[in-house]
Amino acid sequence: MAAEDATSRDTGAHAFEEIDWDRIDARGGRSVDGWAITEAAILVGLLAGFVYDYSAGTPTELIGLDPTAVEWLFSIVLVLGTFHVAVPLAENPRLTARYWRTFRKNRVAVGSLGFLLSILALGVVGPMIWVPPNETIDFATAYRPPVFAGGSWAHALGTDAQGRHLWHLIVYGMRVSMEVGLVSTAIAISIGTVVGATAAHVGGYVDEGLMRYVDLQQTFPVFVLLLFLVYLFGPSLLFIVVLYGFFGWEGIGRLVRSETLQRTEAVYVRAAEAAGAGRWWIVRRHLIPNVSGTVITAATLAIPTFILGEAALAFLGFSDPAVFSWGRTIAAGRSDLASAPWISTIPGVFLFLTVLAFNFVGDALRDAMDPR
Amino acid sequence: MGMKWYVVRRVAWALVATWIAVSLTFGLLVASPTPGADAAAAQAAAQGLDPEQARDRYLSQRGLDRPITEQYVEYMTDVLTLEWGYSVSQEETVIEALSEGWVNSAQYFIPAVLISVLLGWSIGLYSALNQYTLTDYLGSLVAYFGISIPNFWFAIVLILIVGVWFRDASLLGVSLAPLSLRTFYDASYPVFSVANAKQLILPVVVLSTASLAGQMRYSRAQALEYARAPFVKTARAKGASSWRVLTRHVLRVALVPLSTILIVDVLAVLFAGSFIIEAIFQIPGLGRLALEAILVKDTPLVLAVTLIPVFIAIVGNLLQDLAYVVLDPRIDYGDR
Amino acid sequence: MTDPLLRVDGLTTHFHTDEGTVRAVDGVSFDVAAGETVAIVGESGSGKTVAAESITRLVDTPPGEIVDGRVTFGGRDLTTLSDRELEGVRGAEIAHVFQNPQDTLNPVYRVGTQIAEVLRIHGGVSRAEARRRAVTMLDRVGIPDPASRVDDYPHELSGGMKQRVVLAMALVAEPDLLIADEPTTALDVTVQAGILDLLAELQEDLGMGVLFVTHDLGVVAQVADRVVVLYAGKVMERGDVHEIFESPAHPYTRALLQCLPGRGERGGSIGGELPDPNDPPPGCRFAPRCPYAVDDCRAGGQPAAHPVDGDRTHVASCVFHGPGQDRSRLEAPVDWTGGQRARSQSEDADG
Repeated sequence: MAAEDATSRDTGAHAFEEIDWDRIDARGGRSVDGWAITEAAILVGLLAGFVYDYSAGTPTELIGLDPTAVEWLFSIVLVLGTFHVAVPLAENPRLTARYWRTFRKNRVAVGSLGFLLSILALGVVGPMIWVPPNETIDFATAYRPPVFAGGSWAHALGTDAQGRHLWHLIVYGMRVSMEVGLVSTAIAISIGTVVGATAAHVGGYVDEGLMRYVDLQQTFPVFVLLLFLVYLFGPSLLFIVVLYGFFGWEGIGRLVRSETLQRTEAVYVRAAEAAGAGRWWIVRRHLIPNVSGTVITAATLAIPTFILGEAALAFLGFSDPAVFSWGRTIAAGRSDLASAPWISTIPGVFLFLTVLAFNFVGDALRDAMDPR
Repeated sequence: MGMKWYVVRRVAWALVATWIAVSLTFGLLVASPTPGADAAAAQAAAQGLDPEQARDRYLSQRGLDRPITEQYVEYMTDVLTLEWGYSVSQEETVIEALSEGWVNSAQYFIPAVLISVLLGWSIGLYSALNQYTLTDYLGSLVAYFGISIPNFWFAIVLILIVGVWFRDASLLGVSLAPLSLRTFYDASYPVFSVANAKQLILPVVVLSTASLAGQMRYSRAQALEYARAPFVKTARAKGASSWRVLTRHVLRVALVPLSTILIVDVLAVLFAGSFIIEAIFQIPGLGRLALEAILVKDTPLVLAVTLIPVFIAIVGNLLQDLAYVVLDPRIDYGDR
Repeated sequence: MTDPLLRVDGLTTHFHTDEGTVRAVDGVSFDVAAGETVAIVGESGSGKTVAAESITRLVDTPPGEIVDGRVTFGGRDLTTLSDRELEGVRGAEIAHVFQNPQDTLNPVYRVGTQIAEVLRIHGGVSRAEARRRAVTMLDRVGIPDPASRVDDYPHELSGGMKQRVVLAMALVAEPDLLIADEPTTALDVTVQAGILDLLAELQEDLGMGVLFVTHDLGVVAQVADRVVVLYAGKVMERGDVHEIFESPAHPYTRALLQCLPGRGERGGSIGGELPDPNDPPPGCRFAPRCPYAVDDCRAGGQPAAHPVDGDRTHVASCVFHGPGQDRSRLEAPVDWTGGQRARSQSEDADG
């Protein structure tokens, strides 16, 4: 338990030395938090880069890249994900082993996890290796079939109506899907967790008010709303990603609230209160870490909804025209369906498998972390 | 009586929610850029005239320069009195356009809702009580398939197979052509005819898939919670048959949590899907109306078609809450 | 001698889990005569609930499975009946009362409806008639103002009243056998007595046999005519209640009796743990914890149920009651708590 002397905060005098037992226990006795420093450094670096990119106005190049706003967010999410999911897992090998043992029993889920990691890797690294699809436009090589349907290895997955290599379209699409899935979910988790935990812990009118709002938000059909908003404000991937995050957190919020409610009565929370810990402290240090299992499961199952949603918007033509979402490629191939079915089919297969994989993994995670 | 007061409160809340929704759309409209004004200004500048004046004239012609409160009041009254404006693209009033289109939407939407719920719940319940059987595994697979497959892609693939390949292919020497379905909707058939039903098969199948799968999973999960419940054992100890246990005990109790996800979830999935379905199968319903309106920037129509799903969702939510108190005698009308 | 109402012969029920096969009930035999109360006693994990539920095949299959044995009731073997025939028996001829009335009543139906359901299932009773009989039954089990309480929901009743409702539900069709699994464990002590009295009364009125499953020896002393002691899925001892309490033959029974709280000495728990249900010890199941155990105990499967002092109605599954063994060795006093009591006594002396 963290031993924080409440009075020392008020009076400024240090009656006790502030000892953060949690951190000491977790780090095996060291009191300097190496991971936190690294994370902070990386985030500060990213933030600085972001500010530089946007204050300089005109398109600027950093190390030969020109990231868009969504890509900045994506990098931040990746960093947060590494430090708040991967690192804690690595630091608690016993817990991780326990989860893994149950998870491992579900071979389909394990395969899916592998698939997803490959897609993530390709999505992150791919656009650095393969040129953007528009640079492969060549009307002379339009409508080439994929290699398994009579084509050649020069265009392994075929080409579209303007000669773009389908493989490039797929890889860039991977990045878009990963960006949408992960960033939206990260936003949704953040908002949902804070709202849910606060509502549960503070209770009273705050709780009532927040839950009424959640009700209202849940009533609104998000997709319709998004269409309307895109109509009004124009399509941009950033807009779509952020909106999905802002309108997709109710489920997580409700979940966190009910889990927190169950735990608020738990003994260790009462002990912390008795020791003088403030409400915020309890919410942050005790309640939130303990509902993280449920949240991760809910998040993994939320990611596919966002990916599918953006794909549908792209299919209808409402997504960012500068971006090569899978939905857009599928839509583009519709008119040539009978003669060149691969243009629509192959991205569709990837989309389907990605979403399917997330669902398998999410269900398996739920079984591993919350068996009942 | 507690219940009457609860009903009144829920209805009042539904009205408040409606008011908030309509006000929000107004707010969004006001906050959004008016490309028409920019275009007028640009045009004026190109002709050597004063762009600011052109912009002001454009705005005042449409009453967009009046105080916000005045515009708001007018907006709200219009909505309430069903004066939803004139649709430039359809060349009729918005209300007229809607009343023509809604039938086309309803004829595939309603069957999709029914299938999702009735079939979804039956399979879900059956799977829960017959775990580890073949039906359970198959149902599970179908459910994963259903929630993962992108509906637009599924539609395209089905069109390819059923519409194109079946026409020319044959299986074991028998031509599959008769199985081939018309893939693009012909609005000339009467609503309740066989031909119309045939052309609705694909749209309904594609639209139902996702929500059917979702309902299967939810109902199975809830039923599993209750399948091993003590009161189920009591029912069996009384000599109840499996059917009776399933319907009168498991289902009846599971309805309580199921009803909370029913309407809103099913509707949300189906609304999103309807745009896709109408776009792909060319059904002239509300969804396609919306998409066309968006393309030509016919704002009154876009607004109307956005608000309709919101209204339906609010009403659905209200019905769901009312059903919940009927289904669960335990709740205290003091809170939700 | 008339046939007993219920005869259970070598009942064996296994559960198939990911970790292996749990042999919850492994060759249990006993019988119940009309009008008598037989108590099945054991600690948690002894298999008593599974045994009781196996009689009418209420055990969830999967993962459970009745692997062997015969359950004879009304001239038929219940383990071989079809589902439909079994459904006819349940509720009408054999009734169940379970432990926690909070959970055993369906929360969304009125209590009258739930009682009447038994009659509606077993046929030929109109709604009005069923309701009338439900009200009568509520009165019979001592619920005040039954005519209006019949429309109450379970959550509107107290724990004791709920259990009375459960009894009403079980007995409204006048079954021949009642299987009561820990019916008073979840209730306040003050309420317990009322329920037990009611049960005795109803039993006499209806001439039923009662199979009473419990871990509480105090309750056993109150209600039982005969006792079956179960441990790790097997019968350790069986006999008349007076014999069991006054001259317990099996070491396990003795341990149970000695460790009862309020028996003069400070009660404690029996040292050691239950055997692993997936992999029970060869030989007597109790041997690992038994201070009297000898080599013969640890091999050769569970000892047969030997008659005690030649009395065939009192049997114990212990080698010391078999031929060629020295029974007097069981007379030596032992410390069942495995040293716990001694240690705490010396602590008292110091502190």
